[in-house]
Amino acid sequence: MDGHRVAATDDARLGLSIEVEDASKVLDGVTVLDGVSFVALPGRVTAFLGPNGAGKSTTLRAILGIDHLDAGRATVGGKPFRQHQRPVTVVGALLSPDSAHPGRTARGHLRVVAASNGLPQSAVARAVELVGLGDAVDLPFGQMSLGMRQRLGLATALIGDPAVVILDEPHNGLDTAAIRWLRIVLRALADGGRTVLISSHLMAEIERVADDVVVIDQGRILVADTLAGFLGDGGLSLEERYLAELDAS
Amino acid sequence: MRSAWVAELVKLLTVRGFRVGAVLALVALPLTSLLVVSTGGLGKADTLTSGAATGSVIGLLGFGAWSAAIAGSEYVHQTIAVSLAIVPRRPVLFGAKIAAAATVTGAGTAIAALVSLLLVRTTTPSGTHRLGTPTTLSAVVLAAVAVAVVGAALGLLVRTSTASIAIVAAAVLLPKAAAGLLGGLQPWVVGASPGTVITQAVGGAQLSSDQTYPGGTLLAVVTMLLVAGAVAVGSGYAFNRRDG
Repeated sequence: MDGHRVAATDDARLGLSIEVEDASKVLDGVTVLDGVSFVALPGRVTAFLGPNGAGKSTTLRAILGIDHLDAGRATVGGKPFRQHQRPVTVVGALLSPDSAHPGRTARGHLRVVAASNGLPQSAVARAVELVGLGDAVDLPFGQMSLGMRQRLGLATALIGDPAVVILDEPHNGLDTAAIRWLRIVLRALADGGRTVLISSHLMAEIERVADDVVVIDQGRILVADTLAGFLGDGGLSLEERYLAELDAS
Repeated sequence: MRSAWVAELVKLLTVRGFRVGAVLALVALPLTSLLVVSTGGLGKADTLTSGAATGSVIGLLGFGAWSAAIAGSEYVHQTIAVSLAIVPRRPVLFGAKIAAAATVTGAGTAIAALVSLLLVRTTTPSGTHRLGTPTTLSAVVLAAVAVAVVGAALGLLVRTSTASIAIVAAAVLLPKAAAGLLGGLQPWVVGASPGTVITQAVGGAQLSSDQTYPGGTLLAVVTMLLVAGAVAVGSGYAFNRRDG
């Protein structure tokens, strides 16, 4: 796994921000998003933090157009994601470890993703090598471990060398080496000018990689700040500062 | 749209269960026809062409169920989020899925009808039945495509394979089975149903007037395709508005 390979592109596609403006959504009478607004900028890793059920995944799905908003808007590079041509070159997303049909191999899944956006088949081999799927590439998805599934999800997200990367709890199931690799990849992606938006509960890991922090709870944004600004001078760790913020809300 | 369609075809090729399902649906028509013909089921008025179409309803059910299953599997296995993340334009994704199911069904049924005709011709004693008009077997292809379109559309609408398969089976079988309940609508509904459209086209078993489409076979085919298109449009509209 070589995290530095993803940062080599100097591409006009880069420099796309994610902007969520006053996003609201009600599901079955429950307000899941309530005026959510924040920006994730190019060249930075933005951590999207919050307890389970806070609205993180719904927000990420709304950015990708998978879920609809009742009010407000979510854009990538100033327009809804669906309006972009060759979308996997614009946004690469990992939303769930259950990303492929259980009967399809990792190679088959990546072939589907490549075909959907007219990518060359060489992109499949490159993505497989990037995430270190190795021999698991020809294993049916249903027989893969959680860690391997996450790697395939990351390969799916990165296959198009996208300008924006959205990862929802990508650390789940990863072993220590893979977590370290992911840290290097995220840093390399951001340093290469890409926009990285990541949700995770691993605060220590987030503290090592994030530039900006957005905290959401009960569908409302509590904090949208730089990591340094959020931590302040109190000497608290991100975990301590985050829990204190939730307690205060 | 073309890339999305190709991706949907790759999806079908990269899951063994999908491949096996398509092959089973393909062989259902010729094997059923062969069974009917070899057991003396071909009437005096039948032609080799109508004999080749006798297994059509099984083929329709096979491809209809297959289409419903592949479309519904996106929700059963929760892969729809990835599909929408790589093809976020919902009408394009929906259209690609419908088109892929129709493509495989159309090609598969065309092969099945041809093989069926060859088998029936081979197994029927020469001189006992006229050939008929083999080009009318295109009605089998059109009917199967219509059923596949409905199946895929329902799979995406209902979001479960089992329920959508059941609805497709009902759509294929119920018009004729429940014909008596339709009153004056019977010739319009039964006459435009896929199985009856095929029977009208290939000129096989005599249909009663109340099961024959009043406007003729061509209009029956057009009506069947329009109904399938309407189901697809309605399902596509719902797909576009709902989450996931």
